[in-house]
Amino acid sequence: MKIEEFNNAIKTKIAGGYLFREDKDNYGNLSAWITLQDKKDIETIAKTVKAYKGRCVVATGYKNEDKEGHTVIYHFDIDGTLINVELFTENETIVSITPILPSANWAERELREMYAVEPIGHPNKDRLFLDYSIAKGVLNEYISLSKMQLGVSDTDILWNNVKKECKV
Amino acid sequence: MTQKITIGPFSPELEESVYFKLEADEERTITHVEIINGFIHRGMESLVTKKNFMQNLILTERVCSLCSNNHPFTYALAVEKIAGIKVPMRAEALRVIADEVKRVASDLFNLSMLTHLAHNHELMRDTMNTREHMQDLKEIIWGNRMDMSANLLSGTKYDLDERKIKLILETLDIVEPKLRDLQERYETDEQLRKKTVGVGVLPKEDALEIGVTGPVARGSGINNDVRVKAPYSLYAYRPKLRPKVTLREEGDVHARAMARFGDILEAVRIIRDVVADMPEGDTYVEKRPHIPAGEAVVRTEAPRGELIYYLKTDGSQKPVRMRWKVPTFTNWEALKVMILGDKVDNVTMILNSIDPCISCTER
Amino acid sequence: MSKVVPKVFRINTGSCNGCDVEFVAAAFVDKFHIATSDVEFVDDVKDANLLVITGPLTARSESFLKNALTKLKKPFTVVGVGTCSVSCGIFRDSYAINGPLDKFVDVDVNVAGCPPRPESIAEGIAKGIKVLEQKLSGEVTPKTIDTIFSDFSAPASFRGRMDLNPDMCTGCRTCETVCPSTAIKIEENEEGFIHNIWHNSCCYCGNCAYFCPTGAIFSTNSFDTVKLQNEKFSDVNVANIPFEECSCCGEKYMPPSRGLLGKSYVHDDVNKLNTNICSKCRKEANFKRMYA
Repeated sequence: MKIEEFNNAIKTKIAGGYLFREDKDNYGNLSAWITLQDKKDIETIAKTVKAYKGRCVVATGYKNEDKEGHTVIYHFDIDGTLINVELFTENETIVSITPILPSANWAERELREMYAVEPIGHPNKDRLFLDYSIAKGVLNEYISLSKMQLGVSDTDILWNNVKKECKV
Repeated sequence: MTQKITIGPFSPELEESVYFKLEADEERTITHVEIINGFIHRGMESLVTKKNFMQNLILTERVCSLCSNNHPFTYALAVEKIAGIKVPMRAEALRVIADEVKRVASDLFNLSMLTHLAHNHELMRDTMNTREHMQDLKEIIWGNRMDMSANLLSGTKYDLDERKIKLILETLDIVEPKLRDLQERYETDEQLRKKTVGVGVLPKEDALEIGVTGPVARGSGINNDVRVKAPYSLYAYRPKLRPKVTLREEGDVHARAMARFGDILEAVRIIRDVVADMPEGDTYVEKRPHIPAGEAVVRTEAPRGELIYYLKTDGSQKPVRMRWKVPTFTNWEALKVMILGDKVDNVTMILNSIDPCISCTER
Repeated sequence: MSKVVPKVFRINTGSCNGCDVEFVAAAFVDKFHIATSDVEFVDDVKDANLLVITGPLTARSESFLKNALTKLKKPFTVVGVGTCSVSCGIFRDSYAINGPLDKFVDVDVNVAGCPPRPESIAEGIAKGIKVLEQKLSGEVTPKTIDTIFSDFSAPASFRGRMDLNPDMCTGCRTCETVCPSTAIKIEENEEGFIHNIWHNSCCYCGNCAYFCPTGAIFSTNSFDTVKLQNEKFSDVNVANIPFEECSCCGEKYMPPSRGLLGKSYVHDDVNKLNTNICSKCRKEANFKRMYA
């Protein structure tokens, strides 16, 4: 599939508008970067990927430092070509695309527990990897709250023991 | 009468901890599957943002010891994309050699676990002993049996002289006939076939929908090998190097094992091809390159399938965000299709057949 | 004393699986001795008397490990395999890590390594059996146990215990910076630098040696990392890198290492180059020589 073909396929369907650019890796493989103006348009993208028999590879999220809210990037693959779709959410919710592309299942569950970004309409409500002893959204904090409350790091504690027992 | 059965999280049949809650009928046919994950979740995506780029060469290697070379390799590709570094050809060759050596060892470990779970001890021992040759090779050339520490940002830490190339070729000469013999026995062994043929079937349509990759996809007739579809490193420059992958249509435990044998023998061929025509020159550009602000997505083919790294930097010494997705992350959902309707006694063997790398998946 | 049959059960508390894979090699490949000995590998933790535990102990593993421990009959022995079971190693200080292991169970033998060789895992199990025998006969566990399998060797290139040549070190902290598992600590006092390598935190990656500008820190091929718990914090390589007194002004200063000088002055004998003078005085002397 050519990237241009995908761009043509979404052109008229994306209501909120989008930015589009092509990127080439160090070995000449092309990929697309799409930035959606309206996060809800991710559903249209997912449907188009499905129509091309593509899959969701994974999704990345991060908390924005300058503006409140999260950036979410979905990475799709259509027969070896990567399509990266970026969207922005200011209220910690996104529309789940798992009902359209089951391959997005775990990626969206991770967004929920790691960034507390809720994929609305996701079929599974359970935690995936993060233990219930740890509050969700753990990657939003630079230092996790539980470790911060201790005041000292495990590294400090252990090296103190080394110093105590290792007299030269 | 429905019976409830649990497996794990600690069991000799599970290399890594995971917890199955199953329901089965009188014939021990599974009617419900629930899998609890997270035992190997170490918060690594948080850790990588607290360590500098040099430390992360090693931390990424500790994501998983079986595909330990693919992680720093792919991480380095992401950094090099951001920094606009062109890696010397010799380093590309060295990276591919390290990677394919790991692939052989990793796949052989999976196959020996398969025969172990199928109670075929003779095949298991022969597979493990064949793998030992690769382990010895890794220890002599790279200094460790699992974690090679081969990669550097902008190249490789290691180089090969004639003596080491000779050692690689001698090892392959010993291993290759053993591999062909094992392949034949895995294909025909009655006891193994009885345990694995028709077991844990993943139909092609399900495989496509779930988005499985690697030998799990190839066992269901799908080729999405990154070395072929989006070639990188030396695979990009030398089209003949790209593997001729083995595709099987059956989609069962046996088919996935045989797809792995295809990968192993192609890996042996690739290593031979690379060392026969080693590019001359440097092995890296700069030991500690400057990494500017940027964003990159790169992919490689790990022993279990597609590995993707996302990296975001801001010009400082540490990544702002790094995320990676390993093959098992998506292959895992296929387990439910494979296990449902199969027998309780087959569960750990079906799990093994996706060659699960839980430490990779849960990070 | 009747012979004990060691019954081994492995628990993975969140390892990268390296130790678990090498455990399988140790258990099934004849040359590592365990496969040919009378060690029994049991299917259920309640039948075990020797636990092999890997991993840094993740949050989710904690309650399951505690539960498994209640099922064991005393006495039993615990062998922690892999650097991260001993000190959490490279994973230390993550939100998801609750280890190290000895917070929750009395560990008897530690096997550092990342991953340890199957030879070391076999040695760890053998030492664990010794401790178990002593526990059963009511003896006190000794301070150390001599190496049991003395016929193992490692290739010269094996990345084993790190060592430091203090003559080459200038305390530049490159090793400390690139070490991914905080196994190196360099302290400074009036006399000079103190360079510490804690083997139980080391992940044996060789990053320090690779990036060291003078070749002062290097890996040996020693895989002697199987130690009893009482040696956990004392298995440290300590080296003093003394300051010198400037022959000109009397200030203490760190002289450049001979390794560095050798790189800069390739045609000279470096032993004759350095005349005990600090960089400040050298600058002054050079300035006078050129412009006075």
